[in-house]
Amino acid sequence: MRIGIVCPYSFDVPGGVQNHVRDLAETLIRAGHGVSVLGPADDDAALPPYVVSAGRAVPVPYNGSIARLAFGPLSAARVRRWLGAGNFDVVHVHEPFSPSLSMLAVLAARGPVVATFHTAMTRSRALVAAQGVLQLVSEKITGRIAVSELARKVQVEHMGNSAWEIPNGVDVDRHQSATPLPGWPGPGGALGFLGRFTEPRKGFPLLRDAFATLAVSRPRLRLLVAGRGESDELVESLPVAVRDRVVFLGMVSEADKVRMLRSVDVYVAPNTGGESFGMILTEAMASGTPVVASDLDAFRRVLDSGRAGALFPTGDTAALTAVLARLLDDPAERSELAIHARRVVAGYDWPVVASRVVEVYRTAIEATGGVVTDETVDPVG
Amino acid sequence: MPGMWWVVLVVAVVVLVATYLTWTASRVDRLHARAYAAYAALDAHLVRRAAAATAVAEATQLPTLRYAARIALDARPDGRDVAENDLTHQLRTVAAVADVAAFADLVAVSRRVALARQMHNDMVRDALAIRRRITVRALRLAAKHPRPAYFDVDDPTLEALPAAFVAPPTVQA
Repeated sequence: MRIGIVCPYSFDVPGGVQNHVRDLAETLIRAGHGVSVLGPADDDAALPPYVVSAGRAVPVPYNGSIARLAFGPLSAARVRRWLGAGNFDVVHVHEPFSPSLSMLAVLAARGPVVATFHTAMTRSRALVAAQGVLQLVSEKITGRIAVSELARKVQVEHMGNSAWEIPNGVDVDRHQSATPLPGWPGPGGALGFLGRFTEPRKGFPLLRDAFATLAVSRPRLRLLVAGRGESDELVESLPVAVRDRVVFLGMVSEADKVRMLRSVDVYVAPNTGGESFGMILTEAMASGTPVVASDLDAFRRVLDSGRAGALFPTGDTAALTAVLARLLDDPAERSELAIHARRVVAGYDWPVVASRVVEVYRTAIEATGGVVTDETVDPVG
Repeated sequence: MPGMWWVVLVVAVVVLVATYLTWTASRVDRLHARAYAAYAALDAHLVRRAAAATAVAEATQLPTLRYAARIALDARPDGRDVAENDLTHQLRTVAAVADVAAFADLVAVSRRVALARQMHNDMVRDALAIRRRITVRALRLAAKHPRPAYFDVDDPTLEALPAAFVAPPTVQA
C-alpha cells in the first residue's frame, strides 16, 4: 500500500505527535508499505529518508500556546506537489482541525483520507468562527481515529463525528532492551517519576510526601525524577536528611527516558487528573518496571483494573505510601505485576497498533469506492 | 455613464451567485456519492461477516448461528438491522465453543463491520446535513438523489480472547 502521512508539527522540535508519526511510519515501512511523510522542517535539517520537507514552520499563537505551523499559499503548493507525486492509496493526516499542513492536505486530497486526533482540544473561539471551513474539511475525511477515549469524546461531542479509538503505540523491544543508568536501581530500592513536577495535576507532592515517610524506615531508598523544573523547588519541602536521596535528571532525551524507566524498582504515576491516555504507563510496562498509579479511569483501563500495575485512590497519600511499602518489600508481587504488564502491553506494541491503523486504511479505501478485498489473498502490495 | 456601474454590479452578483450554486450542487452530488459508496462497502463487510459466521457454524455444529447468518444474508433492506443485530448476538455466544483461530478471524471481520458502519454513518450525516440547507431545499438540488439512511445497529465488535491465547497479529503489507 502507498501511504502518505502528514505531520502538522515541525520535526526539528520534539513532541508527542511527531514521535507518533515517526514510529508509525517506521513500523509501516518495516511491514513492507511505501510511506512518505510530509512535515514542516528547516530546509537544512537532517531528516529521515521518508520525510519530505514542506518548508519552515512559523510560530503562531494558537489556542493559548505557541504552535509551530506551516500554512499559506507556499505550503499549499508544496502539499499539492507532494500529493501529485505520491500517487497514494490513502492519505493519513494528523490534527487536521488546526490551520496546518494537515488541513491543507485534506482540502487538496481526492480519495480516501484518514485523520488521527491526538489532543482533547475542545472547541476554541477560532474553531467556532471557522465552523464553515471545518465542515468542508470534515466532509473530506473518510475515517477518523482518536488516540484516547478523551480525544474520541471531543470528536463525538464537539464535532458530531464518530472516531475509532486506537491507542498510542509503544516500542516494546526498545524499552525491554534498554540498559539501566549506571548504579541504578541500587540495593536499597528506587522509585521513579517522570514529568513536570510543578504541574499540580501530575500529583508529584503525593509521591514526595510518601517518599519522605518511606525514607525514614528505609535508609537506602532513592527517588529518581526526570522532567522540566528546578531541582531546588523539587526538594524544598523535604526534610534535609533525605534531600540527597532524590536524584534529579532534569529534561532527558528520548534515549535517557527509556533507560530511566528501567532504572527503578517501581514507577509511580500519582496524577490527580487530566491525563488523557497514560502513555508513560505503557512505556514503563514495556520496560518491565512495575507501576503504581492513581485509579483514574484511563489508568485503570491501561493497567487492566490493577492486575498489570497497582492502583491507589487518587489523591490519597497514605494509600500510596502503603502500596509502595508493600511492593518494595515484596519482590514476588512486583514481578507478578511486571509479568502481567508485559502481556497487556503487547497489545500496545507498534506492530499491533499499526496493523489496526492499516485496517482503518483498508476500510477507508473501500468506503470511497474501492472493492472489499480479502487481506489473506490481497494482491495489493 | 453612472448607469454602467449598476450593470457591472448586477453582473458581478449574478456570477457570484451562479458560482456558489454550481459549487453547492456539486457538493451535494459528492456527499451523496460518498454515502452510497460507503454503503456498498458496508454491505460487502456484512456479507463477509455472515460468510465467516456460516463457516464457524458448520465447524461447530451450531444450527442457530447458521440460521442467523442465513437470515442476515437474505434480509430485505427494511429488516436488515434486526437480522444483523441477531447475528451479532449469536456471535457473542460463540466465543465459548469456537476454536481460537476461527474466532480470531470473526473478531477481525466484525471489527471491519464496525469500522465500515462508522464511516458510512458519518458520511450519511454529512449528506443529510446538506439536504437540510435552505438553498438546497429551495432549489431541490438533492431531489435526484435518494435520501441516504443511517445504518443503526448494535456495536458489532466482539471481545477478543485474552491476549495470552491469541498469537500476536502481524502487520500485512
